[in-house]
Amino acid sequence: MTQVACSHCHLKFDESVMIIEHKSEILYFCCKGCEGVYHLLKDEGLDSFYEKLGKQTLNPPVTLKDDLNRFDLEGFKNKYIKITEDGLNQVSLIIEGIHCSACVWLNEKVLHRTDGIIEASINYSNNKAKIIWDDDEIKLSHIIAKIRSIGYNAYPYDPSLQEEQSIKERNEYYTRILLAVFASMNIMWLAIAQYAGYFTGIEKEHKNILSIGQFILATPTLFYSGWVFFRGAYYGLKNHFVNMDLLVASGALLAYAYSVYAMLTQRGEVYFDSVTMIITFVLVGKYLEVLSKKRASDTLDKIIGTMPTEATIIQGNEKELISVENITIGNIIELKPGEKVAVDGILEVGSASFDESSLTGENEPIHKKSGDDILSGTICLSSVVRYKVTKRANDSLLYTITELLDDSITKKPKIEQLANSISGHFSLSILAISLLTFGGWYWINGSFESALIIAISVIVIACPCALGLATPMATLIGISRAASRGILFKESRMLETMAKSTLLALDKTGTITEGKPSVISFQTEEGFDPAMLLALVHSSNHPVSQSIEKYLHDNYSDMTIIDLANIKSIDAKGVRAEYDGNVLAGGNEALMKSLGISTAVTSEHALYIFALSDKVVAKVELQDKIKDQAKQIIGELTNQGMKVVMLTGDHKQSACNIAKQVGIEEVHHSLLPVDKAKHIDKFHKDGEIVVMAGDGINDAIALAKSDIAIAMGRGADIAIEVSDIVLLDDKLESLLNTFTISKRTFAAIRQNLGFSLLYNIITIPLAVLGYVTPMLAALSMSLSSLVVVANSSRIKLKSNIKENR
Amino acid sequence: MSSSIMAMMIGISTFLGALGLAALIWGVRTGQFDDESKFIDGARFDGEDELRDAIKMDEKKKKAQEKVKKAKAAKEKNYMPPD
Repeated sequence: MTQVACSHCHLKFDESVMIIEHKSEILYFCCKGCEGVYHLLKDEGLDSFYEKLGKQTLNPPVTLKDDLNRFDLEGFKNKYIKITEDGLNQVSLIIEGIHCSACVWLNEKVLHRTDGIIEASINYSNNKAKIIWDDDEIKLSHIIAKIRSIGYNAYPYDPSLQEEQSIKERNEYYTRILLAVFASMNIMWLAIAQYAGYFTGIEKEHKNILSIGQFILATPTLFYSGWVFFRGAYYGLKNHFVNMDLLVASGALLAYAYSVYAMLTQRGEVYFDSVTMIITFVLVGKYLEVLSKKRASDTLDKIIGTMPTEATIIQGNEKELISVENITIGNIIELKPGEKVAVDGILEVGSASFDESSLTGENEPIHKKSGDDILSGTICLSSVVRYKVTKRANDSLLYTITELLDDSITKKPKIEQLANSISGHFSLSILAISLLTFGGWYWINGSFESALIIAISVIVIACPCALGLATPMATLIGISRAASRGILFKESRMLETMAKSTLLALDKTGTITEGKPSVISFQTEEGFDPAMLLALVHSSNHPVSQSIEKYLHDNYSDMTIIDLANIKSIDAKGVRAEYDGNVLAGGNEALMKSLGISTAVTSEHALYIFALSDKVVAKVELQDKIKDQAKQIIGELTNQGMKVVMLTGDHKQSACNIAKQVGIEEVHHSLLPVDKAKHIDKFHKDGEIVVMAGDGINDAIALAKSDIAIAMGRGADIAIEVSDIVLLDDKLESLLNTFTISKRTFAAIRQNLGFSLLYNIITIPLAVLGYVTPMLAALSMSLSSLVVVANSSRIKLKSNIKENR
Repeated sequence: MSSSIMAMMIGISTFLGALGLAALIWGVRTGQFDDESKFIDGARFDGEDELRDAIKMDEKKKKAQEKVKKAKAAKEKNYMPPD
């Protein structure tokens, strides 16, 4: 059958399943939602959206639960809505479903056309929107409804938490860098003229003018762009701590002071170019760090934004909607299907299925009855239930997780503190040496000027450049190499920790295995008709049903399409339906038992039984498939000296079974999210440097606790957020590549550091002895930087050779 | 080349460059580069329609501000102390 693209979302499906409309052209829609949005846009005259969309595909619009009135409640208003100076309302939203810039265009266009909306701007990179509106003309719930009507969804976040601060910080750095880059570029052509004059002769007057030009450019660079170093040095000194900032600041300041002196007295050379160069290079390095913080706060906002703000409590015979902060222990809360649980509790009345995928990563809904724990962040799926609150909002699971993540984003790892203390010692020694040099030469020579020049040479020649570049240059190349293979490092310093790691902890589902079950055995008996089973599994979107559907399509052809009647899905058991007077049932043993069908089968794997008119006609065994090459890769890692362990929430049998197949000896099973984190702590106590790879929210706390966290690209947002490294292609091979690239990069870093140390050992004594002028010092400093850059580029070549083999 | 001409050349070129820098910094400070992809897509998507929209939004904003001002003034005018 031919596949056609949906006129709205552009996803391709079989022509037979499409809704077809014959207008001036033939229109195909994959669902009612797409059809609705398409006609809405056409009627509003916004169909140029499809031109802008090009070949991009969209997610088909989903029907959302009716929770619009929550946006007009007092609790919501106090938390998220701000009143602007003009007396208008302002809210910050995250828009879900934005794929491309055409989506941004459409949302803005629709919002601009809505009466009462005064301002609406959407940021494409992080999908965040700022909307200002007049509350007399339109309510926020209507604005959200408008966004939903065109197939997107929106939820609020509180920008004052992290975002405002990080945007401010980023823009401040940006301005400082722009100024520094501008000044360095311009100072260079003035400096080149002056250097040329140094060798070929230059009139004193001309030289003075060039010096003044450089002075004008260097002054704002040093005091405005370089302000961060002065600030850093000041705070360092205040806390009795000498840092790299102090070396940068003092080196630049001394070179500047001497240059001003040389310019005024018209004796000697000026070094304004060195001043701006030092500031610019080091500032750019610092800026990269600020950028990564901003990205991290974006995703945290997304998680907090989906947290419920209100819950319905039952008081006597009355229902009351109160804000989450006011819920106390012992309150009875009513949950309707589709609602997200706000606080933890114990189920009292009724039973329902819950979607716990946001916490456990398991897609299968979990059936809960009276007396079972209800966890915040999970979603009630099937019926109305009442539960008793056991924890206040601030102690509930969801809140605890977001707190932990907030901490992990703002906290600095041990390794960086170590790096700082090393550079601190280095800086202190250099400053001491230059001071001694100055004193020594002044004592020998009696000339203040020559003593100062020599002391500056010492600082400039040892200036952070080679040492400062040694690490970032190698990591930059290592990271870009990794990125081209789908391995994203969030921060460069992680390469170093990764290379030193000793223990790898792996989650099972989704990391070692594919994360979805696949058919491993398929037994049929007399009377089996694949078309009937296909129709039955097609009616359910449970992962087990989907795998069986895929299996049937792969193994049977010419199956006629049949329509089932009275399809009924039975919670956590399976599906029952009727066809031609026969009763069809498909599901687990519990379903068969409840229907009074005897099965008499046992299996260590998940079992799906298909019965036709009370007779079992097919038995399907399913198992989560292990990823390709898992065994080889884990073997290779063990050979490289890594200790590999498995941490899983799954039960013992299944965990040990998989571990045996891939060759992992140490297995910790049946773990809750917090238990996984405890194991990581234990590994730390044993002195291990821990790398953890996982994909679900159940791994999030453990990921945040480990030294290096690796998330699978298809994992939950939250897992990706706390991770330091993301593997986009989900392959275990990438995990191995991550180790290889880290180790190579770290080797290059060590060579670079070794070189710059050697360079300093040779050049600093020369400078101390007065053989080096500041200009020569600046030149050799640049040359040493070049050596470091050249050595770092070798990482690329080396990996290429190996890959081509 | 006389020194005064050289000084003037350096001065003017630096000044013009600084003007450009100031404009760029103004753009950064007012959030025009916050969304890099949107900035680039502006060239692809912005047409007469978008310009008209922008003017309309501006008018809407002015109207809303006036309305709020009027409401405030009316409130002050009709102010009565509580009994």
